Amino acid sequence: MKIKLLLALLSLSFAGAASAQLKPEDAIKFRQSGYGFMAWNMGRIKMNVEGGQYNKEEVVKAANAIQAIANSGMGALYVPGSDKGTGWEPTRAKPAIFTDKEKVGKLAMAFNKEANEMAKIAATGDAAAVGAQLGKLGDTCKACHDDYKAKK
Amino acid sequence: MNSQRIRLWDLPTRLFHWLLVLAVVAAVVSGQIGGKLIDLHGKIGLAIVGLITFRIVWGFAGSTYARFAQFLPTPARIRAYLKGEWRGLGHNPLGGLSVFTLLLLLTAQVASGLFANDDITFTGPLYGLVGKSLSDRLSGIHQLLSNALIALVVLHIGAVIFHGRVRKDDLIKPMLTGWKEGASGEPARGGGMVALVVAVVIAGAVVYGASGAWLPEPPAEAVETPGW
Repeated sequence: MKIKLLLALLSLSFAGAASAQLKPEDAIKFRQSGYGFMAWNMGRIKMNVEGGQYNKEEVVKAANAIQAIANSGMGALYVPGSDKGTGWEPTRAKPAIFTDKEKVGKLAMAFNKEANEMAKIAATGDAAAVGAQLGKLGDTCKACHDDYKAKK
Repeated sequence: MNSQRIRLWDLPTRLFHWLLVLAVVAAVVSGQIGGKLIDLHGKIGLAIVGLITFRIVWGFAGSTYARFAQFLPTPARIRAYLKGEWRGLGHNPLGGLSVFTLLLLLTAQVASGLFANDDITFTGPLYGLVGKSLSDRLSGIHQLLSNALIALVVLHIGAVIFHGRVRKDDLIKPMLTGWKEGASGEPARGGGMVALVVAVVIAGAVVYGASGAWLPEPPAEAVETPGW
């Protein structure tokens, strides 16, 4: 009986923590971290494609990382009020992200699609195909940045 | 039809001008499209560094009407020109003003571009010298200036057309052939082989510096990465 009560209390507190609203500063930090980590991995793929030495395993790891982050549901990090504030640095998210929900959603889905494709191609070890896909993937990054990321 | 004509624009000046036209168009197009073209954009930027450097040196070492001192747009000269009292050859004061403005803007544009990044995979050749924060700010400036540059180029083209149609003064032919028809005055002098070699060598040196080829190499592939 006591155990059931204890379990009920515990689950309530965890549920409470999960539904507690993410503070804008934390949300900004998390998403800046996500994008930055993806940038590292984009660079790794680029180095392997252009460097002269192609390391299939490294490209697979990088592509999988990008795919995981792309599909992790980062939309949830655009909490209300987070168009202002500082995470690791002042946010460059434009207010339009919070109002153009449909268009942003389309851009995000396009990004996910190319990230998934990149992971698939990376697994084949075909350097030329990876290089071509890198361009397509980068274009989806740019498509969102062009409209929704403020210049410094 | 007056059969008089004078030598106005030397070959290096003309070559510089038209190569710059091609380079700027290519840079604008590749910069706007981005993606796979961004690396090309960077290379064109380096070419523009060379062209601008050449022109600046040529402004001191080139032939008569290419020299900056000859067409320096002082307030007095500009006022005279606007009153219709300017009688000269080569760049008129407003034209001279636009030359300097374009050179300045282009210099700022290529300089900022050398350190820029696109947040995705591209970094400029001198990115290694600055941190990401400064690079981001210079990238922002680079984006902003591109609009000013395009506007100024459009104005320049408009002015050239205006001169041709309204003022009946064809500016394009002299910039192609070097001869100004129906004019008399001092033919262009100077800007010989020595000056040309010096200008090209200096331009080459600046491009080398801008390319970052002199930056220390990162350690070779012998870096062991842990398996975790």
